[in-house]
Amino acid sequence: PGLNIAEASKVSVTEVLCLLNMVTEEELVDDEEYEDILEDIKEECGKYGTVRSIEIPRPIPNVEVPGVGKIFVEYASKSDCQKAQQQLTGRKFAHRVVVTTFYDPDKYHRRQF
Amino acid sequence: NLEPRRKKKRGSRWEGTEQDRAFIPGMPTTIPTNMSKDQEKAYLTQLRIEQISRMLRTGELGVSSNPEERSPSPEPIYDSAGKRLNTREVRQRSKLESERHQHVLEMFKLNPEYKPPPDYKPPANKIVD
Repeated sequence: PGLNIAEASKVSVTEVLCLLNMVTEEELVDDEEYEDILEDIKEECGKYGTVRSIEIPRPIPNVEVPGVGKIFVEYASKSDCQKAQQQLTGRKFAHRVVVTTFYDPDKYHRRQF
Repeated sequence: NLEPRRKKKRGSRWEGTEQDRAFIPGMPTTIPTNMSKDQEKAYLTQLRIEQISRMLRTGELGVSSNPEERSPSPEPIYDSAGKRLNTREVRQRSKLESERHQHVLEMFKLNPEYKPPPDYKPPANKIVD
């Protein structure tokens, strides 16, 4: 229903995987919960290739932080990233369905989430 | 540094394997890179609504079987016949319904022509723990 994703343009593979629909703002506010989430991501994402970096934007009170709710994982290669994407999409994380997309590495490095 | 520094409060949040994943008809979990922020938000909101509707329909409410991963239960409330009113299932259903309601309101803002799921009803009154 709604948006027709299937007809949208083809997905082009990059080294940066963007994971959506996994975390809520409230979970990220809590330091312990944030650390736990980061560990869960490191552990799972490391299974599919070499992880170069991970970014999990966290909310700041009264500031509009871009990308809160998204998780970005930078892999050493496009093929590692694609492998991770195929394995992780549609899995569940804390009872939520994991949605994936590839992210522009330039934007990622400029922290344009 | 990939070594855990301290004990985690709970097990991994990851569930299932690559053979066992969520499938919501018409709603792929891989999305294009070039969606606008509003399109992306609408899509994720709709996906969450569909997922919650499915949980409510199937009764798989996502309550962990491990008590350590659940928040403490409130004091029980009974009706006049001695039947417990705020069971875990009732509380979880009401939590999911109210989350879904927030998302439906969000969808109406993003798309005034949005049609909510057939079993959705706006809340008449709230169950308070």
